[in-house]
Amino acid sequence: MELFLQQLINGIALGSVYSLAALGLTLVFGVLRIPNLAHGALYMIGAYVTYFALTSYGIPYIVAIGISAAVLALIGVIVERLVFHPLRNAPHTHHLIAAVGVLFFLQSGAQVLWGSEFREMPSPFTGVINIFGLNIGQQRLVVIFASILVMAALYWFLKKTVPGQTIEAIEQDRTGASLVGIDANRVSMMTFAISAALAAVAASLVAPINLVFPTMGEALNLKVFAIIILGGLGSIPGAIVGGFALALAEVFSSTYVSNAFSEAIGFLFLLVVLAVRPTGLFSKGA
Amino acid sequence: MKGFRGTRVSVFLFENQLFKCHTENRQREIPVFRREFGARSFVRVSGLGETMGKEKGMWKLRRKLALSPLILAAFFLAACGGGSGGGGEGGSGDGGEVVNIGYSGPLSGGASLYGENVLEGIQMAVADLNEEGVEIDGQPVTFEISSLDDRYLPNEAATNAQRLVQQEDAAVVFIPHSGGIFAAQSINADRNEFLLGAYSSDPAILEQENPLTMMIPPRFDNYMEPFVGTTMDEFGDSLGLIPTESEYGQEWTDQVTEEWENQGGEVLSNNGVDYATTTDYAGPVTQALSEDPDVLFVGGPSQPTALVIEEARGQGFEGGFIVMDQAKVEEMEEFTSEENINGSVGVMPLIESTEAGTEDFVARYEEEISEDRIPVSEVGYNYQAMHVVAKAMELADSTDDPQAIRENIEPALAEVEDEYKVINFPDGFTEEGHLAGPVVATFVEDGEYTELEVPQEQ
Repeated sequence: MELFLQQLINGIALGSVYSLAALGLTLVFGVLRIPNLAHGALYMIGAYVTYFALTSYGIPYIVAIGISAAVLALIGVIVERLVFHPLRNAPHTHHLIAAVGVLFFLQSGAQVLWGSEFREMPSPFTGVINIFGLNIGQQRLVVIFASILVMAALYWFLKKTVPGQTIEAIEQDRTGASLVGIDANRVSMMTFAISAALAAVAASLVAPINLVFPTMGEALNLKVFAIIILGGLGSIPGAIVGGFALALAEVFSSTYVSNAFSEAIGFLFLLVVLAVRPTGLFSKGA
Repeated sequence: MKGFRGTRVSVFLFENQLFKCHTENRQREIPVFRREFGARSFVRVSGLGETMGKEKGMWKLRRKLALSPLILAAFFLAACGGGSGGGGEGGSGDGGEVVNIGYSGPLSGGASLYGENVLEGIQMAVADLNEEGVEIDGQPVTFEISSLDDRYLPNEAATNAQRLVQQEDAAVVFIPHSGGIFAAQSINADRNEFLLGAYSSDPAILEQENPLTMMIPPRFDNYMEPFVGTTMDEFGDSLGLIPTESEYGQEWTDQVTEEWENQGGEVLSNNGVDYATTTDYAGPVTQALSEDPDVLFVGGPSQPTALVIEEARGQGFEGGFIVMDQAKVEEMEEFTSEENINGSVGVMPLIESTEAGTEDFVARYEEEISEDRIPVSEVGYNYQAMHVVAKAMELADSTDDPQAIRENIEPALAEVEDEYKVINFPDGFTEEGHLAGPVVATFVEDGEYTELEVPQEQ
């Protein structure tokens, strides 16, 4: 039982990070129909920005995350303007190639600028809390609570504010949204900004329990794609549920089935879902 | 036919533009093209030709693809990222003949730090040699390093080695990963002969019976007995496993498991995870600790290994650690507290080594290479190996005959000056091609690196 609870908490912490990263990806897909393969690289850049804000400028952790989110939002807008906007009428393959280009560009750029060594992000939350015989790292609690907070804020933004509703409108019907006067250009930029900011927050939260290095986004990239396919491309609840489902499946399959199986389980799960419901769990219409 | 020609030409133009003159304006390039091939060629331009508008002979870039050069440039940049630096130009300077030493290792991607460490060792030795002035067969020579990035890929390493031999006339090529070494072993004794400086502790390298291999570090199978014996005596007889899931990690796991069982202990379930792709180690650690082990076997790159240890201590583990030789205790110390590492057995940190040249070497590393990082053992082993190679060349009176160099490695060992000996310097060169010698590992006890003899069985 203790093992179960301990792993449950581990799984929820991991799931929070997966969900946050997947949310950004699914937003971009929903609005622009672009599979942004560079998402993992934006995630990595976000971790570096927080790292340098913390270590070089001595900015407090929480503020540093905010700065990182802002910087990445700006980078997101730049990427949208320079790369994806000019391609908006091009065939889909061009988006894919462009996204891979951005991914390589950012990764190599990080390596040239900051070197390939692993860096450890200091966090003020280093202790371990002992509750009912469970040892839970404080940083993991921070990850869980901060993720919930960010997800709630995102939900509020999308449902209750006008700019947020324009995103949803474009997602639902591009032509219709344009007819009622929504500026698709502005929405594209905003979506990219939010997506990159979410990636930055996810990376900054997880970095203290992992490490910061130029290829840190690679493994995550694959997983978040699996998550949004699982949840339904473009679906926000799908990204959240998918993120937690994948994390819990990984953790529990390694606990109760076999460790060797845990990396494969997520993708096996994906295959099953796609066989039964090819559009993903939470896809709309289709 | 015309269409075909048009396509081919425009592809050529595009590549040319990208790789040679990508900063030039495309529109200015086109008239040249036009003069050479005549306007007819344009009539049915397809493929990449579509990137250009064809209205009334006006060559206008279509906006939708205005960025493609940028994207391809990004690809190009990525492909070359950290790439083929350090190419040695043949021009002989004051130092006489130039001898190229080849190196193929990971210089980009996740393992690039490791690749750079190895290269730094060779570079430091080359700097020594050039400063000191080496004469081979009566001629002064200058050493240069030609390095290529293989991104840790075996086939890439073999291709690189071939290039280094054919284009740079390298007689010796260093490769620091077992996959690349095996691939190179299949080509180094044939048409393009070269001596392979093999930096990997995998004993399988020696089983290939390759006549031109020099295996540099101690073989890892010899660590098993003292590592297992020490931790079992100290902490108890059940062993949990959380190693990295690389091929190398798997081999280590198999050997540790076998030795632990041989010495009468119990091995619990394997909770290995790929250290390169794991986001959070809490899951596998919880899982391993649920079986209540006395000792944990961990290891992969140093920094993630430190996180695994930190997580285990955080979850209340008080036993010992067997640390795979890939991880360096001294590097781990920078990522977790010293206290957490107590009770670990692992390879001896170079900075704690008692060889004659160690102290100066560490000081020089800090001065010349990096103030932030400390020299780890791969820097030292490759540094020594390069000195051995240079001495062997001197004794062989040859810089380009791999066979002769190979034959002189054994006598060269005695000739290497003490100041160049920095860690577990070898005292013999085996038939199979291993730089063997007494090896000291370490057991970390109360923050002290106590010496642990590693008996050498060949």
